[in-house]
Amino acid sequence: MNAQLENPPETAILELPPEVVKLAIKDLSFFYGQKQALFDVSVSFAANAVTALIGPSGCGKSTLLRVLNRMYSLYPGQRAQGQVVLDGEDMLSPRVDVATLRARVGMVFQKPTPFPMSIFDNVAYGVKLYEKLSKADMANRVEESLRRAALWDEVKDKLKESGLSLSGGQQQRLCVARGIAVKPEILLLDEPASALDPISTARLEETIAELKRDYTIVIVTHNMGQAARLSDHTGFMYLGKLVEFGETEQLFTNPVTNRARDYITGRFG
Amino acid sequence: MDHILKAVDDDLGALSYAAAAMGDLAVAQVRAAIDVFVRLDLLGAEKVVRADNAVDIQDAEIEKNAIRFIALRQPMADDLRRPIAAMKIAMQLERCGDLAKNIAKRVPRLEAAPREAQAASIAELGRMAAERLAAVINAYRNDDAQGAYNVWLKDTDIDERHDGVVREIVAAMAAEPETVADSIHLLFIAKNLERIGDHATNIAELVHYQITGADLANRPKL
Repeated sequence: MNAQLENPPETAILELPPEVVKLAIKDLSFFYGQKQALFDVSVSFAANAVTALIGPSGCGKSTLLRVLNRMYSLYPGQRAQGQVVLDGEDMLSPRVDVATLRARVGMVFQKPTPFPMSIFDNVAYGVKLYEKLSKADMANRVEESLRRAALWDEVKDKLKESGLSLSGGQQQRLCVARGIAVKPEILLLDEPASALDPISTARLEETIAELKRDYTIVIVTHNMGQAARLSDHTGFMYLGKLVEFGETEQLFTNPVTNRARDYITGRFG
Repeated sequence: MDHILKAVDDDLGALSYAAAAMGDLAVAQVRAAIDVFVRLDLLGAEKVVRADNAVDIQDAEIEKNAIRFIALRQPMADDLRRPIAAMKIAMQLERCGDLAKNIAKRVPRLEAAPREAQAASIAELGRMAAERLAAVINAYRNDDAQGAYNVWLKDTDIDERHDGVVREIVAAMAAEPETVADSIHLLFIAKNLERIGDHATNIAELVHYQITGADLANRPKL
């Protein structure tokens, strides 16, 4: 009756039915030079859902995110081994063009990173790299992106002003707008609300909840309440390994592994 | 394992301690109610009725502290189940207190001492209910899911005994119609004791839920 407490498994990874999987990571290991940061991680992310990655600092969750759009390839000595399969194609294959990959897999970072240009151009800049749009179409795309990032009403009268003139929370939503303007399929968010006040955080969370209708979203967060509020699935990582992955409700109400339980309840681990 | 923030352990410990102490008080009230009934102790009955107030106060206190804990500590997983269980267990115990009080209130209204066999049957039913409640409080205090499960399994014993007591009382009513008024009191007393057994079973489910996160489904029924 009480087997789960007396003899809990070391790891518990939920396998998603193949028809809902957008992005599948298979036996992924990652190295910063000699140092291994990820160990045989296998996990799937569902389409039109938010997946949260949680775990203590240094557990590999940001590293995992950086692998998904090959951000690491900017740095010498960093290498990934395994597969990241997006719609049946391995994104780590050298045949896949990095620029095309990043158009499909957008990313928003911990600190807002607006370009030193106007609000309008911040959003339009990436689009110009991939698409030739007429002026009217571009204006529509910028408005649509800003609306979806829940920023339009606050900036519609000052699109020519610098992106840097916005508040931190607005800058972060501007980065979300920039990320979705190129119409990616997947949106990666690395601690997107860690520098935001509660109101900006709530707005950003509402934005993310809206966006999941069209995107596959993966969010790294230290805020457990945020993971619980926002995500459909949650993965708990520890020392470069995925320890538990499952329905968010299950993981936060009744985690299977002791490590996940100790982490989410704030016990010594 | 201890929490990094020690105050969480302190708060959770205090909540469980208070709920278990309230359980002891509820058990004592049930036992006292049966005792005053058997001895037809009118003064004692009055004391049982007055003492119920303490049970109500503890229920309110536990509810307040559980809500405060949830609001301030924002607990997850078993840390969340513990205050929820404490609050719901306190609610069940408060009902047990009311039922014990109700039994004590009926004692001075009896016109005559019940026949010995009837009183003994009811006392036995009461003993079973009090034991059941004491056992589940014990399981709660010791985080003993198996103990709670054992209490839960035995719910039908009390139901069977209750049915037997009811049959005896109904037979007595048919045989001696002039005792109907007293018999109705006895029926209610027996029903109250059976209800206390149900509350003990409910508490067993809560203890099991708190410890394992899993429901005990499909309670055995007569």
